[in-house]
Amino acid sequence: MASSLLKVNGGVSGLVKLSQKVPCAVALNNRRWRSAKALTYEQAVLNIPETKVTTLNNGIRVATENTGIITSTVGLWIDAGSRYENARNNGVAHFAEHLLYKGTKKRSQTDLELEIENLGAHLSSYTTREQTAFYAKCFQKDLPKALEILADITQNSRFAEEDVEKERGVILRELQEAETNLQEVVFDHLHAIAYQGTPLGQTTFGPSENIKSLQRNDLIEYVGNNFKPPRIVIAAAGGVNHDELVRLAEQHFGRIGAGYEGEVPILQQARFTGSELRVRDDFMPLAHVAVAVEGCGWQDPDSLALLLASTLVGSWDRSHGGGANLSNQLAQHTVKLNLAHSYQSFNTSYTDTGLWGVYFVTDRLHIDDFIYNVQHEWMRLCGGVKESEVERARNQLITSLLQHLEGTTPVCDDIGRQILNYGRRIPLDELELRLNAINSTTLRDVCMKYIYDKCPAVVGVGPVEGLTDYNRLRAGMYWLRT
Amino acid sequence: MAARLMNRVVNGKGQRISKFSRRLLSSSKSNNNVDITNLTLAEKLPGLPDPQYASVTSHAYDTHVTTLDNGLKVASENKFGQFCTVGVLMSSGSRYEAAYPSGVTHFLEKLSFGTTPLWSDRDRILQDLEKVGGICDCQGSRDTLVYAASARTHGLDTVLNILSDVTLRPLFPDDQIDHARKAIGFEIEAMHMDPNPESLLMEMIHSAAYHGNTLGLPRICPPENINIITRPVLYAYMNERHHPKNTVIAGVGVDHEKLVQLAHKFFVEEKKPLWLSEGETWGQREVEPTCISQYTGGSVQVEKDLSNVSLGPTPMPELVHVVFGLESCSHKDPDFIAFCVLNMMLGGGGSFSAGGPGKGMYTRLYLNVLNRYVWIESATAYNHAYEDSGLFCIHASSHPSKLRELVEVILREIVFTASTVYQDELNRAKRQLQSMLMMNLEVRPVVFEDIGRQVLAGSTRHPPQFYFDQIGNITERDIQRVANRMLKSKLSVAAYGSLAGLPAYEDMEAAILNKNGRIPNKQSFSLFRR
Repeated sequence: MASSLLKVNGGVSGLVKLSQKVPCAVALNNRRWRSAKALTYEQAVLNIPETKVTTLNNGIRVATENTGIITSTVGLWIDAGSRYENARNNGVAHFAEHLLYKGTKKRSQTDLELEIENLGAHLSSYTTREQTAFYAKCFQKDLPKALEILADITQNSRFAEEDVEKERGVILRELQEAETNLQEVVFDHLHAIAYQGTPLGQTTFGPSENIKSLQRNDLIEYVGNNFKPPRIVIAAAGGVNHDELVRLAEQHFGRIGAGYEGEVPILQQARFTGSELRVRDDFMPLAHVAVAVEGCGWQDPDSLALLLASTLVGSWDRSHGGGANLSNQLAQHTVKLNLAHSYQSFNTSYTDTGLWGVYFVTDRLHIDDFIYNVQHEWMRLCGGVKESEVERARNQLITSLLQHLEGTTPVCDDIGRQILNYGRRIPLDELELRLNAINSTTLRDVCMKYIYDKCPAVVGVGPVEGLTDYNRLRAGMYWLRT
Repeated sequence: MAARLMNRVVNGKGQRISKFSRRLLSSSKSNNNVDITNLTLAEKLPGLPDPQYASVTSHAYDTHVTTLDNGLKVASENKFGQFCTVGVLMSSGSRYEAAYPSGVTHFLEKLSFGTTPLWSDRDRILQDLEKVGGICDCQGSRDTLVYAASARTHGLDTVLNILSDVTLRPLFPDDQIDHARKAIGFEIEAMHMDPNPESLLMEMIHSAAYHGNTLGLPRICPPENINIITRPVLYAYMNERHHPKNTVIAGVGVDHEKLVQLAHKFFVEEKKPLWLSEGETWGQREVEPTCISQYTGGSVQVEKDLSNVSLGPTPMPELVHVVFGLESCSHKDPDFIAFCVLNMMLGGGGSFSAGGPGKGMYTRLYLNVLNRYVWIESATAYNHAYEDSGLFCIHASSHPSKLRELVEVILREIVFTASTVYQDELNRAKRQLQSMLMMNLEVRPVVFEDIGRQVLAGSTRHPPQFYFDQIGNITERDIQRVANRMLKSKLSVAAYGSLAGLPAYEDMEAAILNKNGRIPNKQSFSLFRR
């Protein structure tokens, strides 16, 4: 048997060599990968630069992608966020982010702002439940300066008492502004009930009592305990020389010690609870509802299948129009029966858990109808959808993943987040290979595992009297039919 | 060993052999036989070789422009990356709708990528595009209609085939026209409900500045025209406007020869526009002359109660919006760059947050307006440049009770543009404009649009470095010259909200002509004045 195979192989090996010359995309689009259980592959040729990663002595990872253009983005991606807080200091990560703009031991706030403005650079940051990022977009020649500023604000910020007091008002107003965004409100509620009793249920803003009570020392303690070298990734994209950035990183960040002085922050296990929350307000014109089951963490092998399932459910809003223009069945039903103003399927991942579900906006009389259709679609996924639908969703997903990587900032953000989430940047060819390996059977199995007969978390804000009763909704999570 | 070799076979290109071997594979009980959908994402797939990456070349890519026999221009630039963006740009838009019901191009935008002779509906087009990793989009503005698609570089054939069908041969079936009517209706509804009335204000200021002509015509289809626009109207408009001489096919990340060849194939040889009569070829007819825009100035006011615009339970502050406009210049004018620098120097944004350092927190509208008068909610400068004219505007908002003061503050700032310009603010504005230019051009679709618009306007494309250097050459005198130039034009005003406090148009106009920008104070009581 082995000898006959060897013969076959002899015939093909020539072809394999040839196929290396085939442009990457052809090789990647080769559908035969899909169910291939093979562990040897031909080398892909990608017309993008490599992501180079170097780890400094103290554990900071430096990762770059050099496209050789005149502008670049450089920044710090830190494994820290509101999930590392407790009930007393919830909000401190976001508060500290604000204070890092208020000047350092050698730069006043005005110096800092003018320096950035005069370079034509931009300084931005964000804090989420698990990640904090500070990054600058600048001309390539100003990259050393930008990194020095980032090092200064993250290591030598003053956290002056008067700035802390002044910033309280700003954050409270920002919180008020965030509350006008109903989608954010619904998702905060969703985290609060789905992860009740765990730090992942907390918001990044924190409750307003905390914003009013947090002190200078809380901020200093948080930054000191969390901005630790093994949890920091320095990423850059655009015009950037890897070796030079490593040298600069060593110079500006090499002295931070990896040891902890106080208590070592530990990521507490998240626990998902099926539950519901209704915020009924009949004066609001539309109801905003989210229904979610527990998904999986970033590194879980099932995460890509869940992402694909989410793409298959899709999204729609009224400006999309209707008719035969829609690829998702749920969207088609929504248009035909006029069920909602908009809906979107989501798949939010964290280290060890995730939320997978649908968020929608509709008028008070269509909530139950829409939920019925959502669950119908979910059960269809659990029963196995057509191979052609999976293929379509895969094409859409790959397209949106790749088209998103435009410009230095999205690329840099992608590098930083991937290195935090996966410990590496997944090469594009591998990502496509993995996605292509998911067929309708894999998708069905994964959906059965995460969706079928699971308790969902449900949040409704607005005129939600008509929101399906929880027990009925729970009963829609399975079908007793063959 | 045998199993490894077998696996190689599966990946081989020989279809028959691989089918045969896969059957063998499934029956074998190899322990190397792993389902990759069960492997963690944190680790590289075992056995997967590192891809061969591209490395950076210092090669600068030029823009090539070719004009086909019928006048159609093809322009492209090659670029590093896996994707290409290709599209068709036409000088077509609301400014050319004088002889048609307003909203024709809004309909074309909504009906884009619909049924054609080769594709039965939009979904089919999307499916074919998705196979080559593609997305498509159509965007209309006052003067340009852009159909574009981004896809993997090897999908160029498909992309051009689709683009030619959707631009030259759209069938506009009845159901799609109905859907477009509905979608436009929703859009108008959403625009009036939106707490941020930006697009509404831009319509108003254009209609004030170019009263009843070209750029002043509505870009958003007026509600009364929704049911008037029919298929014959659309074809009649396209017949007049969508001439090859008004069209550019632009591409980024493509080989120019290939693009020219495909453009010739799909836009000249194989297909001709549906709206042409029997035997006529595209571009045979002379192109219709274009109307020149006429800047008029004037005022457009919409009184509306904006005290409850919030869509949720959290209330929003009541605001009144004003936009002041003056004529700047066309993007072909030598003063264009100076106007852009002036716009950057005024900058502005929202009072609450400038969005972090680098977003213009030291521009004049922050330093002199938003930081000084806490009751002003927002103040932002814009410069809209078109082929034959341009509009420089400042949009500001505050509580209606402060409207008069708001008008005074903003008009004074406009008048001050002609006085002293400080070196550091000028340098900062120039630097920021340069970085904005270069940072925007990081993104392939922006490069595409830049090439397309430049070639559409003037047959050639200046490289980014050209503008970069031009910005560097702007001096204090240039700024003062263009400021004086625009201050000579008649004021345009758009106001929206509770307008009881709005000064009379004549007074605002007088303020612009006054050196200190004051509104003549008629209301105050004085014993010594008659």
